[in-house]
Amino acid sequence: MQPKHKILVIDDEEVVLDSCTQVLAGPDCQVTTASNGAEGLRRLEEVQPDLIFLDLKMPGLSGLEVLERIRAKHPLMVVIVITGYATVSSAVEAMKKGAFDFLPKPFAPEELRLIARRGLDHSRLVQEAVALRREQEMLRENFAAIVSHELKSPLGALQQNLYALVDDLEDRLSEEQKQRFAHLKTRLDDLLKLIHSWLRVFSVDINRLKDTFKPVGLGEIIAKAVENVQPHATRKALEIETTVAPGLPRINGDEGSLTEVVTNLLGNAVKYSFPNHKIRVRAEAQNSDVLVSVADTGVGIAPEDLPHLFLDFSRGRAQPEGVGGCGLGLAISRRIVEVHGGSIGVESQPGKGSTFTVRLPAAQAVSEPGPPRQNKV
Amino acid sequence: MSEPKRLLVIDDDPDFVAGIKAILVKAKYAVDVAYNPKDGLQALKDKAYDLLLLDVMMGRGAEGIMIARKLGKDPKLRDLPVLIITGIREQMAFLFPGQAVHPNFVAVDELVEKPIEPKLLLEKVAHLLKTAEARKAAAK
Repeated sequence: MQPKHKILVIDDEEVVLDSCTQVLAGPDCQVTTASNGAEGLRRLEEVQPDLIFLDLKMPGLSGLEVLERIRAKHPLMVVIVITGYATVSSAVEAMKKGAFDFLPKPFAPEELRLIARRGLDHSRLVQEAVALRREQEMLRENFAAIVSHELKSPLGALQQNLYALVDDLEDRLSEEQKQRFAHLKTRLDDLLKLIHSWLRVFSVDINRLKDTFKPVGLGEIIAKAVENVQPHATRKALEIETTVAPGLPRINGDEGSLTEVVTNLLGNAVKYSFPNHKIRVRAEAQNSDVLVSVADTGVGIAPEDLPHLFLDFSRGRAQPEGVGGCGLGLAISRRIVEVHGGSIGVESQPGKGSTFTVRLPAAQAVSEPGPPRQNKV
Repeated sequence: MSEPKRLLVIDDDPDFVAGIKAILVKAKYAVDVAYNPKDGLQALKDKAYDLLLLDVMMGRGAEGIMIARKLGKDPKLRDLPVLIITGIREQMAFLFPGQAVHPNFVAVDELVEKPIEPKLLLEKVAHLLKTAEARKAAAK
């Protein structure tokens, strides 16, 4: 059976090794000894101990050197130093280098037992914390996979059968029945889209977008986004006016996700605009940044709603009739913009309208990192 | 009248399979179905197919990818055209860290996303069958 605890003692004095073994070794505690630093480091890899006692004063590799090497390779290893002449200064030095505690020589068996118990408890806590963190990360990473499979598959199957039914019944369905099928299809599509949005928000890996950054032109991105929302705008008799400053610098980024951001902002503008009004999209350079702004003359946002606007599941209170949404669009947009090293902001007056502005670093300035951002997710 | 083309669908979701099978059968294809990778590989050994429609996420993970890789190594099956049908959006593949589920990780001919509209499905299938035939003719 594996012993519960494994302790490694590194000391050049045989009497210390022997007494430590005698005091600590037992059915649930295995003690391994090493009589110098080099041997100690070798033993460490072999036994993978939970706790190390390390003499500071040894011939060859000094205790502090051994400590540094242990911490470099196993940053979470719990090390208790044994100080030969009970000098506080060397003990303090060792604690600074990451030792968990120190034990002055000579020591009584009870002292050794007590400090070993504390060291092992600490080691267990450290290991538990690591395991917990790993589990959390796994859960987060796998969440995407689980949601994708468990929620999307049934919806996909439903949709697929709807397609098949419509295909089968094509000649027999009345116009009204076809409409109903089309409506069902839209509802299912919306659900699938919603799940997709959730995945984007909860996924930690939005940073991966960075791997495929390349220079992109905001003019093209805006044109695409406008195309995406044009049908909805037309339905509300809204005009979308685009102004892209000539000679606008390109930015380093991911075209697809940036298009999603602009589409999102435009979609909101359409949603919250009064009918027959105009939405203005502008892109211009400012210093080493490129600004994209989307301005609407619509319901606007209440001042008390502004601080939460870019958080998950946040929706303004001023909802016009029939406006749907999950309150994730702006949160996703913010994340995408931040991955690009930019920022997103809003100015709004209730009843007058809102202007969202996205600030992105121009491509040539990308190599110089900007100031660190506060609101890390 | 020529023999109907024989298609095999490997997908662990019977409801989804019913949805695409109906479309393919209506388009006069002979369709067999396997609901897990094991039966799927057996079916491929037992019978000659003109096209495989393969789901990516089955069982404990990306088992469809495993099948596609096996096919690539098998000299008899290497030339079988494969249409990958996946619930994972290509642009979402970055959500699966450390797992080789990215569709581009395997050499497959085509990839479509679930659900797939009948017209698109039939186009893809017809296109793959035609390309495979042309390739066979060129090899002769």
